[in-house]
Amino acid sequence: MSDPMLELHGVHKRFGTLEVLRGIDLMVRKGAVVCVLGPSGSGKSTLLRCINLLEPPDAGRIVLEGEEITAGADHGERVDFVRRRVGMVFQQFNLFPHKSALENVSLAQEKVLGRSREEATSKARELLDRVGLSDKTSEYPERLSGGQQQRVAIARALAMDPHVMLFDEVTSALDPELIKEVLDVVRELAEEGMTMVVVTHEIGFARDVASHVVFMDEGVIVEEGPVRRVIDAPREERTKQFLGLVLEH
Amino acid sequence: MDVVFEQYFDFGLMRDEFGFVLDGFWETLQLSLVSGVLALLWGLILALLRQLPGRRFAPVRALTIAYVDVFRGVPLLLVVLIISGSLPFVAEGIGLPQSIGIPQWFGKPDPFWYGAMAITLTYGAYMAEVYRAGIEGVPRGQMEAARALGMSHGRAMRHVIVPQAVRRVIPPLLNDYIALMKDTSLVGVIALLEVVEAGRTVQAETLNSSALTLGALMFLVVTLPLARIVDRYIAREQGRFQRGLVPA
Repeated sequence: MSDPMLELHGVHKRFGTLEVLRGIDLMVRKGAVVCVLGPSGSGKSTLLRCINLLEPPDAGRIVLEGEEITAGADHGERVDFVRRRVGMVFQQFNLFPHKSALENVSLAQEKVLGRSREEATSKARELLDRVGLSDKTSEYPERLSGGQQQRVAIARALAMDPHVMLFDEVTSALDPELIKEVLDVVRELAEEGMTMVVVTHEIGFARDVASHVVFMDEGVIVEEGPVRRVIDAPREERTKQFLGLVLEH
Repeated sequence: MDVVFEQYFDFGLMRDEFGFVLDGFWETLQLSLVSGVLALLWGLILALLRQLPGRRFAPVRALTIAYVDVFRGVPLLLVVLIISGSLPFVAEGIGLPQSIGIPQWFGKPDPFWYGAMAITLTYGAYMAEVYRAGIEGVPRGQMEAARALGMSHGRAMRHVIVPQAVRRVIPPLLNDYIALMKDTSLVGVIALLEVVEAGRTVQAETLNSSALTLGALMFLVVTLPLARIVDRYIAREQGRFQRGLVPA
């Protein structure tokens, strides 16, 4: 068993009176691919957003590579620590529309990591090549398909050399025929040993790549374990119900 | 009808006074350029102050909002008058050098600079609201993506949010600029010989308004193309939007 990359202990998050996370305990080991399943509104996305402190948790502890990121005097310093180690890819891609694909991937390298223009650009080219977009480097996002945009977004996150990648329903906004090209990139990353937390509705994909599956509902983890256990032989009624509904299609 | 023509379109008078009115218009142009640039910058600063995050900056945000409310709520003419009437005394009273109390920078007379200050203060408030609309119109995901990549709030604003916001608000900013240009005429009341004041001087001497008509024509030479540019820009953006190239 490899060392833990990420540990969550009793994480709570509420928005106003709505309790979105009600005590999440989770361990993500180095190199693990954790797929998080669950119905809409179950708190999956919020969970990811808490991990990189886009939403600071209200209670509980999050430990990243042995460092607690939910406590300590200097909030700004902890945020920096987290964001340098955790990459995130969003459902809506969120590419910068005023920047070309290449600039999208190189911007933060220069401004955050202080890499030179040449270094950032060559890394960006390499990554765009890796996601199959070497011919699109100078295109602006508006001229790219959803699948291409999402692959640029993945390259953009990878450019920061993250230790963990968070994927937040990265294929939910895509036309069906574009889903595969994005999932293939994610799958390849998984095979290379990247630690990942993947929120997804693609059960088939989770079955293929997950080393660990988490089923969430109403802000709690209902059931978790290896694919064979959670997807193929769920014990909890709610998991069975959800998988039944999803797999019917 | 002859009297109408003679009062407003006395071409002989226009020809005689053309140089004088043009000098006034040159003053108008300089004032509107200087205060326009300053107001654009001041407005952006105000808008950014208003967007500072967290509880720590709550007082800054509150002050900025109060400032914008006040300066949008009082007439520019009044601001021109209170600055020109009292700045020399205030500056002297608090020990500032005379070059600030009675500014005559770059060879321009003090009414020019009082006017520039008043216009910057007032139009900065208007433009801050325009920028704010632009900044708030940038989808939230943009800031989140920038922050997730490790950018600070300031960096994200500078490299991601503001460039997008400014593009969206170029038309309303240009509209504000046209309004600003016309409002420079208010500085005529503190004896800056800009185009309207120049026309008025001729009117008082000749009991004929043609010099003012001439001033109006000079304005139109600049403002009409600007208005067309705004329309063009909006039409172009609209086209992009309708072709689905820009997310709603």
